[in-house]
Amino acid sequence: MTAFVEYLLTGVSRGLVFALLAMGFVLIYRVTRVVNFAQGAFAIFGGFITYSLLRAGVPQGVSELLAVLIAALIGLVFGIITIGGEIPLLASLVITIGLSILSEAIGMLVWGTIPITYSGLAGHDFVLFGAFIQRQYLIVVIASIVVFVVSAYVFGRTYFGKAMSACASNPYAARLSGINVKRMGLIAFMLGGALGGLAGVLITPLSPITYNADVSLAITGFAAAIVGGLTSPGLAVLGGLVFGVAEQLVAGYWSPSNETAVALALLLVLLLWRQSRSLPVGGLE
Amino acid sequence: MTERMRRRLPVLLVAALGLISLVLPLFLSTTNIEIYVTIGLSTIVVIGLSLLMGFAGQVSLGQAAFYGIGSYTAAILSLHGWSSLEALIAAPIVTAFLAFLIGIPLLRLQGHALAFGTLAVQLIFLAVIPETASLTGGSIGLSGIPSLRIGPLAIGSGRDYAYLVWIVVVAALIVARNLTRSRPGRGLRAMAASVSGASATGVEVVRYRLKDFTLSAAFAGIAGGIYVFFIGYISPDAFPVILSIEFVIMVVVGGIGTVSGALVGAVLVTVISQVLTSLGTNPSLPAQLPTVLSLGVYALVLIVILRLAPAGLVGVLRNLWKKGGAASPSSSRESGGTGVDVVPIGEGTGREVPLLVDEASPGPSTFLAGQ
Repeated sequence: MTAFVEYLLTGVSRGLVFALLAMGFVLIYRVTRVVNFAQGAFAIFGGFITYSLLRAGVPQGVSELLAVLIAALIGLVFGIITIGGEIPLLASLVITIGLSILSEAIGMLVWGTIPITYSGLAGHDFVLFGAFIQRQYLIVVIASIVVFVVSAYVFGRTYFGKAMSACASNPYAARLSGINVKRMGLIAFMLGGALGGLAGVLITPLSPITYNADVSLAITGFAAAIVGGLTSPGLAVLGGLVFGVAEQLVAGYWSPSNETAVALALLLVLLLWRQSRSLPVGGLE
Repeated sequence: MTERMRRRLPVLLVAALGLISLVLPLFLSTTNIEIYVTIGLSTIVVIGLSLLMGFAGQVSLGQAAFYGIGSYTAAILSLHGWSSLEALIAAPIVTAFLAFLIGIPLLRLQGHALAFGTLAVQLIFLAVIPETASLTGGSIGLSGIPSLRIGPLAIGSGRDYAYLVWIVVVAALIVARNLTRSRPGRGLRAMAASVSGASATGVEVVRYRLKDFTLSAAFAGIAGGIYVFFIGYISPDAFPVILSIEFVIMVVVGGIGTVSGALVGAVLVTVISQVLTSLGTNPSLPAQLPTVLSLGVYALVLIVILRLAPAGLVGVLRNLWKKGGAASPSSSRESGGTGVDVVPIGEGTGREVPLLVDEASPGPSTFLAGQ
């Protein structure tokens, strides 16, 4: 029971990090129709920059915040490269793959090949239902819930959020009603960068990252996002949680080497089941 | 340039390229022969993938898994008493059969979901290999694979493989070309433009898609089979996810929906990455720098090509060709007419590939032309 609670809580908080990555995918995809494979790169930059700032003596908290802001800027730059000008979507997709490879090169050049980590916000670990839980897990849970609530508010209640949703559902009509769709796309990239950066900032204290960790992070985030057809933030969060918990349970009760494959297989079954209930042939999501 | 010359030039160009590539292995060093064979094998896979991406409008991020299944099939059978030729013939058949079985549930997914599904297939493939060590040799792999014999003909040297690969590439090109110009090919292209449009005109979308998926896997399977005899050993490390992504990159760089684009993309991307790798192994440089350089340059080349020529290199050449045609007074609508058959749906812009476009967005007006 104790072990189960531990796996469950670890799984939930890791799942929330995946959910943050997945939300970045969803946000960018909804507005620009681009699947941003460089989403994992934002996360490794988030982790790396926090690490460097902390080592440079910038206080905890400020470092994390700065790293997220810089990740947002990187997102903006990636957005300009990916969707600036008239680029067909499939080309945009491959450009994001190129950006992801470029990020690995930069990451390796600046931060080397050794895995890096830092301690999360100071504080004591605690015991819950007999399970020993690191404090960082709690921080992950709180931070991601805050992000989810804030984004639900922004996209549901504010003019800006509604303009963004308008771009997502019908770019042509959005443009007719005076919304600058291109700028919204760039903002989406920026927010996607911030979400990815935050995911990286949160996960680095839990599992050290290397320059090439972005691919597996991107695949995980994509897997979670695809549960909601890349368009539903709510289902993306659910996908992230399923993935995180399944991964931890498999690693805990069976073998760590199978964790990713089993989690992926589970998501695939979920996806097929979802699809089989809708149109067997027919339109894209 | 007269009309006749314009029409003949592509044929002459193809003939010249064919001849050059046929003579080339005689003059290449051992290392370069290896690169030649690698390019050929990639071309075979990419032709198959191009049929899937450009004509059925679906992306597979798991093509390296089918490449791997072909390799393992050939390796395991040839180590279990089959003759090497039988094993090589079995490779695409087994791969296609597995793809067919996987495809039945998987192809319910479309677009990004299918891309994810194929990626998951690849990751599961990579996870299964180490668990089945008694058959596949696990993560260590299998070695001692005999070299290929076709009847009395022993295929041992790199040059022999270069010619074998050349023959298979030509065969693959012919199959792909004929397919894209046949009735099923037109059906596939119609699907790439609009699934509902195609099914409304009587294209059996599900069956065509499954057949296309199976065929593209068979192409990867035969390439994998040749690969394993050429290299002589096999391990799961030879089929990383990045290889699947590289195949997709080759298709896009060459130009989606064109058979010749597959060739151009495979040649260009392989040559770039080989040049960078050989630069990277220069011992006078610090340990990390080569990898950084090769990754960085590879990424930059990719980004620059796609920013400048999003329709792929073949798309650019074709546009230049068309412009040249417009400038010459003798060419008229007629010459445009002869071009229709080779211009894929979406005319090389990639926009109409439905993977990433809304079903509601206006498709190309020409999609009914072929049916």
